[in-house]
Amino acid sequence: MSKSGMFADIPVDVGITYEGERIRKPAMHVELGGPDIKEKFELLRVRKPEEVEDEKITVIGPDVDQIPEGSKIPFGIYIEVAGKELEEDMEGVMERRIHDFSNWIQGFMHLNQRDTIWLRMDKKAVKKGLNLKVVGKVLCRLYKSELPIIEKIQVTFITDPEEVKKRYEEARQVYEKRDARVRGMTDDEVDVFYGCTLCQSFAPSHVCVITPQRYANCGAISWLDGRAAAKVDPKGPIFAIPKGECLDEWAGEWSGANKVVAEKSLGEVTRVKLYSAFDYPHTSCGCFECTTFYVPECDGLGIVHRDFKGVTPTGLTFGAIADSTAGGRQVPGFHGLSYEYMRSKKFLRADGGWERIIWMPKEVKERMKDYIPAELYDKIATEEDAKTVDELKAFLEARNHPVVSRWKKEEVAAPTAPAEAVAPAPAATMPQAVTPTAPQMAVTPVATLPEMVVPAGGISFIFKNVKIYAEKLIIRRSKEGK
Amino acid sequence: MTKMRIKIDELGTDILKAKGFELSVGRVVEEWEETPGPNPMPDISTLREWDHKLLKKYKPFYLPFCDLCCLCTMGKCDLSKGKRGACGLDMAAQQSRIVLLSCAIGAATHTGHARHLIEELIEKFGRDHPINVGDGSVYLEAPHARLVTGIKPKTLGDLEDIVEYCEKEIVHLLSCCHTGQEGNNIDFESKVFHAGMIDHVAMEACDIAQISTYNFPKADPEAPLVEIGIGTIDTHKPVILVIGHNVPPAVEIYEYMKRNGLENDVELCGICCTAIDITRHTQKAKIVGPLSHQLRFVRSGVADVIVVDEQCIRTDILNEAMKVNAVLISTHYKNFQGLPDRTNDPTDEIVNDLVSGKAPGACILNSEKAGEVAVRVAVAIAPKRRKMGIIPEDSQIIEAAKKCTQCHSCQRVCPNNLPIPEAMKAAAKGDLKPLADLYERCIGCVRCESEGVCPNNLHPHTLMVGASRIKIREEKFKIRAGRGPIQDVEIRRVGGPIVLGEIPGIVALVGCANWPDWKANALIAEEFAKRNFIVVATGCAAMAMAMYRNEEGLTVYEAFPGAFDAGGVLNVGSCVSNPHISGAAIKIASIFAKRKLNSNYEEIADYVHNRVGAVGISWGAMSQKASSIASGFWRLGIPVIVGPHGSKYRRALLGRKDRDEDWYVIDARTGERVYVGPTPEHLFFPVETVEEAMVMIPKLCMRPSDTTKGRAIKLNHYIDLHKKFYGTLPDDIHLFVRTVADIPVTMKDEILEFLKEKGWKESKNPSPDPTLLPRLIRVKKEG
Repeated sequence: MSKSGMFADIPVDVGITYEGERIRKPAMHVELGGPDIKEKFELLRVRKPEEVEDEKITVIGPDVDQIPEGSKIPFGIYIEVAGKELEEDMEGVMERRIHDFSNWIQGFMHLNQRDTIWLRMDKKAVKKGLNLKVVGKVLCRLYKSELPIIEKIQVTFITDPEEVKKRYEEARQVYEKRDARVRGMTDDEVDVFYGCTLCQSFAPSHVCVITPQRYANCGAISWLDGRAAAKVDPKGPIFAIPKGECLDEWAGEWSGANKVVAEKSLGEVTRVKLYSAFDYPHTSCGCFECTTFYVPECDGLGIVHRDFKGVTPTGLTFGAIADSTAGGRQVPGFHGLSYEYMRSKKFLRADGGWERIIWMPKEVKERMKDYIPAELYDKIATEEDAKTVDELKAFLEARNHPVVSRWKKEEVAAPTAPAEAVAPAPAATMPQAVTPTAPQMAVTPVATLPEMVVPAGGISFIFKNVKIYAEKLIIRRSKEGK
Repeated sequence: MTKMRIKIDELGTDILKAKGFELSVGRVVEEWEETPGPNPMPDISTLREWDHKLLKKYKPFYLPFCDLCCLCTMGKCDLSKGKRGACGLDMAAQQSRIVLLSCAIGAATHTGHARHLIEELIEKFGRDHPINVGDGSVYLEAPHARLVTGIKPKTLGDLEDIVEYCEKEIVHLLSCCHTGQEGNNIDFESKVFHAGMIDHVAMEACDIAQISTYNFPKADPEAPLVEIGIGTIDTHKPVILVIGHNVPPAVEIYEYMKRNGLENDVELCGICCTAIDITRHTQKAKIVGPLSHQLRFVRSGVADVIVVDEQCIRTDILNEAMKVNAVLISTHYKNFQGLPDRTNDPTDEIVNDLVSGKAPGACILNSEKAGEVAVRVAVAIAPKRRKMGIIPEDSQIIEAAKKCTQCHSCQRVCPNNLPIPEAMKAAAKGDLKPLADLYERCIGCVRCESEGVCPNNLHPHTLMVGASRIKIREEKFKIRAGRGPIQDVEIRRVGGPIVLGEIPGIVALVGCANWPDWKANALIAEEFAKRNFIVVATGCAAMAMAMYRNEEGLTVYEAFPGAFDAGGVLNVGSCVSNPHISGAAIKIASIFAKRKLNSNYEEIADYVHNRVGAVGISWGAMSQKASSIASGFWRLGIPVIVGPHGSKYRRALLGRKDRDEDWYVIDARTGERVYVGPTPEHLFFPVETVEEAMVMIPKLCMRPSDTTKGRAIKLNHYIDLHKKFYGTLPDDIHLFVRTVADIPVTMKDEILEFLKEKGWKESKNPSPDPTLLPRLIRVKKEG
């Protein structure tokens, strides 16, 4: 291939074509970090402009061409960036790009992130002239080209074990601080949320509102990701939403979010309460990780994830449930969500939060163990506890799940199932009178007779108050006449 | 649709008193949760407007394979140079008419197959046998049937109604080919699309029926690996070879073997789609290879009994079987081969006649009986038959080659123009390599051996197979058994990565074995799986893909996962499994946008065409079925690339990227017309080389709705492959870059410079909600 463009001077190719390239052991010159090495890290820090020497690349310790073939060594990548628009909060998002950018280099493999990185450099590539200095050059150019808000960048690679050890500790402290900050961040303390219309390329009327305490449905975009993306590409599909006036603090309704949702959905959706699955719930595209489903008999919500192969107690599979809440619609009780949102303190707060969750597959329950209030953990049924609604009811009653108290209230007052919460039940859950496979939709009778007499061979059938419902009736003669 | 029968001996309620009450309704058509859309059971005229929209963008470009029309007795009519035939038809309309004829034959073949198979399965399993294609992982079980017919099938019996609709439409389509009917080429083309749509509906019904009854993998990404290749066949055992497409006889052969404890004692192998389908039923069966392997394997003499059903069978199969003393059993009335119909004769009598050599073969139109006869005959004749092949040894080849006069007649009749005389010259000197090297490029048609071709009566194909003996013995590969549909959940899972461009597109390798070399299938699959595309395959293409090993000695099925995900390589199944590929595109519309499927073809096709980056490639397209399969993709707006012989389908559907006015869509949000560039550029595009195909694939995956990241990644692959194979930047990048964010980041400087030269300007509306249908403009709700 002819060499031209921004990597003409780089001895190997650079392009997303190489993403996913695997370098196997026999082909590897050196392994940097990886499962056999304890101390390894990658870290990106935002610095003041005067602290960064632009495009300076340093290797502390030997570069790869001086390392014996087949070695596995401790390793660190330390990137420092500066720019007027940069914020410390964006470090994590920018740091994750090390993975992409490194992988685009032919003969260089990068797996995982932070202090679990695992890199390999290919023998052939090293022979062609690839080394860490070269990788540094590529990283500098890609960072500045892809994220123009970075004005200055310097890259340091560390292969000296002592130095790696020292900086490894620093890196771990930074990760911890970052995580604590993210975990502690609340919707109330920020001024803007982020909107995402990426999925409109497939689901034209859906828009995601991303807040610190509500990840995008797909689980792929956090508030911080949104913030970075909106800054990097102000005209892009991820954009800032000024929160506006808080209309309902408890259920998570803001005038700013309503305005944007109405605008981007062309008025299909005008209100959204971020912490409710019932009352103006957030819409879903199709790539949500999990979805809730309403179980009217228990007045509670089940959660089912994409990988669940079985049938939920309502008789519906994930597919059937998901089908009822895709495409940017508000369907009370049926609500696509990400795992990360389940970890949020605001998780379906308006509906009762975890106290309203009555069933979930064992796999999800275990995954969420640290986030489900301890006193509720054993009260939520899994597929092992309840396969039908009756079994579920019995389980909840036996364990005294908080929803049971709602049933008692209902017995006194009139039933107060959430408005419009209609299960998209298949025939199996709603036995019908005459044909076992009658349609679920409401149809208007096309013929109503107070009395109908059908004479048949000496006897007469008398049907009273006959109503014939027919959306469509197709009768064909059976071929074999049986 | 179930039959409803209510029988009450005695009933007494307040409102009804009845004795011996019986109510019977032939069919009860069940409504489903979706109300019907605007196009239930479309006839030829229903979707004409949509077809014309596509055909305006992608104009037919005719490549007359023959200037004459000789369909009626007023002819032959010369249609060249603007002349019209005696009936008034011009060249364009005649070419389209032949395409329609081809597609109607193709659709009829699949529909006939579906009808035959479903009837047989209903007889065996009952009309009420439930449909199950995914064991709970597939909610949208029949996207084509739902979309086109409005029927949501639940039982085998329901499939009959679907097929009935197809049969009716095909009769009308075929009648349009009669003299003095349609006169307009574009309307012929619209009918071609109709045939394709019908074909996908029929194929889907057919595969649903066999998946539901024969214990095939059900949408299984981890369907087992099975053996493929001539070298995998154990020649020490009695060998039964099945050829064709209709699997019940093969299933009955295996079931008979199982019942009689012969599973490990008799070798069951197959060629073409019956082979794919029998390995979906049992992993003990083996696949010999694609269609191109038919004659060479038969002539190897390894098969003791050859069982044929329908489609793609060599029509001289009886002669060929007789040459090697193999017994032929025909199991289908579509293919009697001149054999006596012995369906109703006692089994013992048929077996005796075949074993004793009294008859060279028999026609048995009952799968169970054919299964029993095949096994019993194979077991009885194998020991005494001696595997008699007609494949020559090296010394014989050299001696024969010395007789070659270098007249080049064989090369002239060879569809791939293979340099046979050159190879003969080398062989005469004792070097058999050039002859052996022809093997992978030979489609096995054996035209070179036809009477009168060689003045010295040489048999080049036989000599080539002889020279490739060792290679053939080493043909031992693994293929993943046909998995059937794509799970709804798999589609849901790839939604994000497709939107973000991490999965740049879906590449479908389909079609027959009329290729310039079979290895290309694997090379394309490998290249695009490595690039994180999703690679799906069916039929002969799926088989050929398996017959190649990478540097690590793995086939693509071993090297890549079988899931519908980035870098997955999926064998979906046989010919009739193709609708699972187009069906996946349809499901995307239902799953992500909640577009109604019920009787809503136009809207879904509009969605797929503008959003789903899928492209079909049929490297070895040969049959009429392949043409109708392709036309089913076209009507959904999915582009198809064909290999060099594909131009013989008589016309391409080409976009004109230089005509800006062709590339406008409506932004459904505003009603505004927006220029989106030639995305996708063509609908039907023949290529000459595999390199050309590889450059065209990512290009044809671009769609108006691409996000900037998605477009950047697709462009990256397009440019990268163009550089790799042509050594230059493509000259049309400016047509695909809408904003700077579309530019692949690693190529930014270079492309910005190129764009500057072209005077490129950023699009004002780079991400419209694209549609070709004014009725889909969404009016903003006030409130």
